[in-house]
Amino acid sequence: MTEAPASRPRAPLGQAPRLAGDVVVLRPLSVDDAAMTHRWRHAAKALHLNRSAATVDDQARWIAGRPGNEFNYIIEMKGGPPIGMLSLVTIDLGNRRAESARFLIGEEDAVRGAPAAVEAMNLLYELAFDRLGLERVYGVIEERNPRMIKWQKYLGMVEEGRLRQHMRMDGEFVDVVSLSLLAEEYRAVTLPRMRGLMSLGRPRADGA
Amino acid sequence: MSRRDEVLEIILEALESLNQELDETERVEIGPATPLFGPDAKLDSLSLVSVIVDVETALTIRWDAPISLTDDRAMSREISPFDDVGTLTDYILELLQEISPA
Repeated sequence: MTEAPASRPRAPLGQAPRLAGDVVVLRPLSVDDAAMTHRWRHAAKALHLNRSAATVDDQARWIAGRPGNEFNYIIEMKGGPPIGMLSLVTIDLGNRRAESARFLIGEEDAVRGAPAAVEAMNLLYELAFDRLGLERVYGVIEERNPRMIKWQKYLGMVEEGRLRQHMRMDGEFVDVVSLSLLAEEYRAVTLPRMRGLMSLGRPRADGA
Repeated sequence: MSRRDEVLEIILEALESLNQELDETERVEIGPATPLFGPDAKLDSLSLVSVIVDVETALTIRWDAPISLTDDRAMSREISPFDDVGTLTDYILELLQEISPA
């Protein structure tokens, strides 16, 4: 297979813009987040992400070394604590594509009953498709994470195939499922479904 | 088996299937009053979507018609269909009444 030629960005990406929704805010990841994100990445919830830094110092160095074609975010409850992380990486403005990656809710109890995960992903897609004008967002999910695969497919991502033995986790090679979302699918499928799920967490007319 | 019992069985089977994917500490107690989404519910949005997809698939196969549980109509109701197993059962029965009157 031939990799499409990497093209120069039309404009420098610069600092990741802060993104605000109704219940969550996405703010740029900083070195100060090293201890917290290290803890999240080593919790059971992160079992299906690829291998993370061994120590907090390694995590800080990893954060400091993020390349300029990535937007890395901490997800915070609006006016509340940090709850997770999410990234848009390998941003290629020439080919108008990027990869969504490193999605992790590290503080499950803080988001119970709130559509935080859905809104965080919605903010990232708005950035990708509406602000950056991308045509395609893609990603891979470890095959042993069926709930995340089902969630992403429900929200419009289409399975493209399987990358065999793509990741090595705890000494064992595992397959990943490759998925993608095109701009027209985002508008036709993803947005209505995301709005639906987000409305579930909002107070009803009776205040319940 | 009544239509209500059939629908209830489909929802409970979806929750059983979800439990098989969850760690022991995350599993939900399954019954007609199990909360589905909200402050009292144990399900996060990934788990809720898993249940929605499984229930929609089973309903579509059983009644041979596409059934969506998360369209605008569902989301605009005063009482969310996803408060608990009971409210979801009631909502599905309403939908089925329209496509296949009992």
